[in-house]
Parts: sequence; C-alpha cells; structure tokens
Amino acid sequence: MAVAAAAQTGFDFSSASRNAYLAERGVKLPNATSTGTTIVGCLFQDGIVLGADTRATAGPIVADKNCEKIHYVTESIRCCGAGTAADTEFVTALISSNMELHALSTGRKPRVVTAMTMLKQHLFRYQGHVGAALVLGGVDSTGAHLFTIHPHGSTDKLPYVTMGSGSLAAMAVFESKWQPNLSRQAAIDLVAEAIAAGIFNDLGSGSNIDVCVIAPEKTDMLRNYIMPNERVQKEKTYGFRRGTTAWTAEKIRSLIINEEVTQVGNEAMDTS
Amino acid sequence: MPGTPSIQRPTQHQFNPYSDNGGTILAIAGADFSIIAGDTRQSEGYNIQTRYAPKVFRLTDRAVLAVNGFAADGNMFVKKVKQRLEWYRHAHAKDMPLRAIARLIQTMLYAQRFFPYYVYNILGGIEEDGSGAVYSFDPVGSYERETCRAAGAAQSLVQPFLDNQVYFKNQVPPPGRAHPTHLPLRDVLDIVIDAFTSATERHIEVGDGLEMYIVLAKGRTLQGVEAAQEISARTDGERVFVLRRDLKKD
Amino acid sequence: MNTVDVQQLKSGEVNLGTSIMAVQFEGGVVVGADSRTTTGSYIANRVTDKLTYVHDRIYCCRSGSAADTQAVADIVHYYLQTFTQFIGRPPTVHIAAETFQQLCYENKDALSAGIIVAGWDKENGPSVYNIPLGGGLFRQPWAIGGSGSTYVYGYCDATYRDGWGRDETIEFVKNTLALAMSRDGSSGGVIRMAVITEDGVERLFVPGNELPKFWEGHEVLPTVASVGPPPPVVPMVVE
Repeated sequence: MAVAAAAQTGFDFSSASRNAYLAERGVKLPNATSTGTTIVGCLFQDGIVLGADTRATAGPIVADKNCEKIHYVTESIRCCGAGTAADTEFVTALISSNMELHALSTGRKPRVVTAMTMLKQHLFRYQGHVGAALVLGGVDSTGAHLFTIHPHGSTDKLPYVTMGSGSLAAMAVFESKWQPNLSRQAAIDLVAEAIAAGIFNDLGSGSNIDVCVIAPEKTDMLRNYIMPNERVQKEKTYGFRRGTTAWTAEKIRSLIINEEVTQVGNEAMDTS
Repeated sequence: MPGTPSIQRPTQHQFNPYSDNGGTILAIAGADFSIIAGDTRQSEGYNIQTRYAPKVFRLTDRAVLAVNGFAADGNMFVKKVKQRLEWYRHAHAKDMPLRAIARLIQTMLYAQRFFPYYVYNILGGIEEDGSGAVYSFDPVGSYERETCRAAGAAQSLVQPFLDNQVYFKNQVPPPGRAHPTHLPLRDVLDIVIDAFTSATERHIEVGDGLEMYIVLAKGRTLQGVEAAQEISARTDGERVFVLRRDLKKD
Repeated sequence: MNTVDVQQLKSGEVNLGTSIMAVQFEGGVVVGADSRTTTGSYIANRVTDKLTYVHDRIYCCRSGSAADTQAVADIVHYYLQTFTQFIGRPPTVHIAAETFQQLCYENKDALSAGIIVAGWDKENGPSVYNIPLGGGLFRQPWAIGGSGSTYVYGYCDATYRDGWGRDETIEFVKNTLALAMSRDGSSGGVIRMAVITEDGVERLFVPGNELPKFWEGHEVLPTVASVGPPPPVVPMVVE
C-alpha cells in the first residue's frame, strides 16, 4: 500500500525555486505594501484602548490614505498590525477563524492569551518571514490583557505598548503621560495623542486616527475618531472636453441582439 | 531553502558621504514670467529633520535657483554659485544674465564630475530678451532650456501632470483651434499649488510648506495675484516675489 | 568556509542583551536577571521578566533571542506538565535542564539561546545548570550568562564562597547584576530575582533607582568653580 501524501497545508512554496532563478538573473521581486505605521495600545481602568493611523505605503508612495489597521479577532479581542500589510491581514484573519472554532468547541469565551499563543507559534514557525508586528489587546474572564508580538514570535505583556515605524514617537507620549487606572476618555485621548505623534513625526505614518475601546460589556470601534489631515480644496477643476482623447480608428457596433422567435405548437405555457 | 542568501558572504563596509533628503521642486516658464517652487520639508528616512528648510533661492533680480537631493551639497552649491555671481558683479558692475548663470552652473557641476554634488538643479528666471525661462540640470552638469520641469522625490508624480497641463500632452485641441504656447500667471500658480498638494497626498517625503518664487520681466506687474512678498533689489527692472503656502504635515 | 555564526541575530530580531544569574545555596537557589529587551538600540521592554516558570520549583533565565528562548521555554514547560501527568511526580531540575539542552543542541544552527536552569528537587536539593550557546549542559554552583556576564566573571570568582545562606546569596546576586548592568549597555532597568526552596518560590524586585551603587568615578579635570565663569556662548555664524 502506497503511503498517502502528507496533507498540504499553509503556504505554497512551489514558486520558490523559480523566483530564486529569476533573482539570480537580476529580476527584482515586487515590493509588498507595508504599513509604515504607528500602532499603540494602553490599559485603562476597565479595559483596553487600541489605536492606529491609517496610512499604507509602498516605498515612499502612499498606497492607501485610509486603511484599517485594527483587525477583528473576536468580539472582545482586537489586533493592530504593522509590517507587511498582507501578512498582518492574513495572520489576523487566520487566528480569528481559529479562535471562533476554539470558542465553538470549548463553549467558552476565548481568552487573549490563547490568541497570543496561536499568533506567536505561527510567527515563530515562519522565522520572521511572515512580517507581522502586532499589538494584541482584549478582555476575557481573567481580565484585560495587552501584548506586543514581534515578527519572529517573541511577546511582551505591558500596560502600554507601541509598534511600527512611529513607535518611538508614540512611546514618548506614553512614557511621559501614562498612569495606572486612567478613565475611559483619558485613555482614548492619550491613545489619540500617541497616534498623532506618530502621524506628524514619522513619515511612514499619516492620515487619520482609528481608536478601538474594549471594555467587559462591549467593544467600540471608533473608525476615523479624529481626521486631522483632510485634503484642501484644489485650485482648479480638471474636467476634460469631450473629444480630448485622440483615437486611431472608429468602429461602432450595436450591442442589441435581435432574435426572431418562432412559435412551435399552439399551446399556451402551463402556469397552473 | 532555495532563495535564502548564503550566510557569511564577504561584505565591504564603506563610509557613504551622501544622503537623500527628500522633497520636490519644480519650475514653469511663462511668456514674460517664471515660477520656481519647492516644498520646505527636509527628511532622512522616516524622520523629518525640519519642516522649514528652503530649497529655492533668489540669485539675482532675474534668476532663482531651486536645489533638490542631498541638502548639504545643495546648500554648499548655492553658496558657491552666489559667490561666483558676487565676483561677477564686482568685475562687471551688473548682474550675470540668466543664460550665463546656466552655463556657469554647468561648469561648476562638471568640475565635480568624479565626486559630484548630489543635487538636481532647476534654474528659473528672465532671459535678456525678456522671456520667461527654465533651465534644468542633472548632478554632473548636463542641462537644457525648457518650459517646465519637476525634480526630486515626487518627480515621477508631478512631471506627467505638468506634461499634460502645461505641454497639453495627450490632449487633442478643440477643432480649428490650437493649444496656447504660454499660460497666464494665475493658471500657472494654480497648477503649481495643485501639483504640490497632490504630491503631498501621495508622497511621504513631500509636505509641511510650499515656497513659490515669481520672477517678472521688466515692466510686467503681478496683475491680481494675491499678496506676494517682493524681494527684488530694485523695482525698475526684473522683479522677484515670494508666495508661501502651508502643506499638510503628516 | 561556510560556518554559521550563531551569535548573529536575524535582522530586526528582538534581543535579550541581558545579564542573568543563578546561585545555589544551602536550602535552595537564587535566580536573577536584569529587565532590558532591545531591538537594535531601542529598548522594546524596560521591565521584562526574564525569569521564566517551567515547573513549580524550576525556573529558567533566558538570554539571546527573545523569540527563540520563549519558544524553547514554552516547549519545556509543556513537556514538564506532561511529564508530571504521566510519571505522577514532579520532574527533577536535571530532567528540565536535559530537556532544554536537547532542544538547544539539536537545533543549534537555528537557535540563539543561552539558558540557565535552576531550581529545587527532592533527589538533589538545589541545583544550577548552565546551557550556553552550542547546547552543552554543565552543572555549576553558580552560573552567569548574557552579554553583561563577561564584565563580572572576575567579581564572581573573587566573591563567591561555598556555604552561604539565603540572604548572603541574594546580596551576591543583586550586587553582581548591578555591576553587570552598569557596564553593559544591553543590560539595565530593574533587577528581578526569585528564591526557590522546598517551601516555594519568593519573588524579589529591586527598582532601577535603588540598585546597589559602587565606584562611579569622579572628575579628573579641574572643576568649573576653580577656572572661573565659562566664556559667553557665541552662536556659530551660518549664512
């Protein structure tokens, strides 16, 4: 009896040798969209506040001016992602799916440590090649928890955290102003200020401030909580006269299909 | 795994005297004026070094120079060009003509052929015949006279826009009419402002502030262009004005 | 030659620059560590707990890559839980150390982990095991590790004595770590310690502003007062 082929799961590496060959001949690989990013999280008296900017970059070009970096994991667990955009989105979606299945099979509300462990084990397995730098926060039966997860799979548990290229600017705000047992509004204000520090001082971060408040009873996703960078009115309007674009040939074709219907038999359709 | 770079390949470490400080400049020539503009952000990597570092400089009442690339080289280059123009004034008791400044810049850049100034120059102003002119240079001195030119970080975003709006590239004129050869001052200013606000939206190294230098031919006035600050030495010849605008700071 | 430098961290990897230590005494062991975690020159965590629980009376001190050492410690933790369930008694420190050693040795080309395992068990009483980079296993009365340890080998050799009690051992660990942290830029923050005895684990904490102080140098050059007032500051002339 032949041995059954091992089940194929996870990534498909079949293009790896082709890409290595291409790289050898000087063909550059396409560069992935990275979320230059400022993401933060902080503990307050009854939960967690997460924050993120909304700029996505591809090198020095702004790829998306209003992307979402606070991802859903479960109703009371959310995760901010920095690094390779695709990796943060997929790793988050994967763990979200597995958390739902875990909740269904145990019949309990899932815990933040569970999501943290699943994420770190996944990232460690890929030795940093899955470039996701995460801020994971949430509330469960054991209380409010906040973690950072680095691309190689190491984790830290702290009362206030920042990640991404704007993390230093944001951490400067936390290190000078955070204190234990902040009120809900004070925590939201502090997180918004930390993100703003990233937006204005780090070129990789920009546009709007997203905030997510996770409390035991409910989670509030405050999308575009502050919009400090709206575009000013343009000086001119750039409409083009009909016929501006040159053409080399003109062909007009009717899109209406003419059908001739021939009745076969005389009975009306049975509509009973 | 295939594709993994082999470990311990010999690497050579060397001091790199250059750096890229971002930002963008552009210039457009009109029939009897010239506009030279640049943003004021100076950055390195993801860090903003300053939100106000001028990249556009008045050389004479009829010549304005914009420099972009490595800021230290740019500032030193402008300093040396100004010194040469000063010497010219002492020797000839008049300002150097624009086309002569352009040739001077070429020789100064090419003198550094094997250790170049890491700078893209755009020179704008008024020629001796009273026409608006723009000269653009590469870092080692190749130059040409043009009607418009963008350079710097967002060149690839701005130049196609200028080609379309100034040169009317890819635009068929209305039947029986031709595109104008020169645009009026107001239209050019609008195009410059929109070019920079748009570049700020999509390029992370562009922003903070915008400085637009307007050089007018002898006898011509601003004609309704809002409060531009005059910085010319004399008011009876060519005149230079500056117009400043805020750009987004994120 | 194609050798692998295991000391070399992958780019952007989180590093436990670290000063870690474990010392055996009459009735138990004292483990201690600084609290600094770095990515390059940035301190990613200034209050890290590098003393990691792997069983009720066994802890490990982690140095090297944060990701690698956390992953290894998690596996050992899981293995010792399983061991207890199957065998019906707690594992010895030696078993825990061997498990670490096996993982570190078998995966030596993929890991950068320097680990000290210490604890108390019924068979041997207190014991300290050192598992340096290549995956060796050495029982020692005291062990130091991490980048900061190189500064304090001499101090430890000169100071350590057999037969110390609990309090003397705690002082020794505290002083050694403070000296290491003051010289090593990759170490710093606070001192965390744990005393593991038959009766349980006692956690100790020394805040960064209460670290033991040693000679910190003094001015060799003449003081400002003896020279007179400094000349007025003149800004550099920039055009």
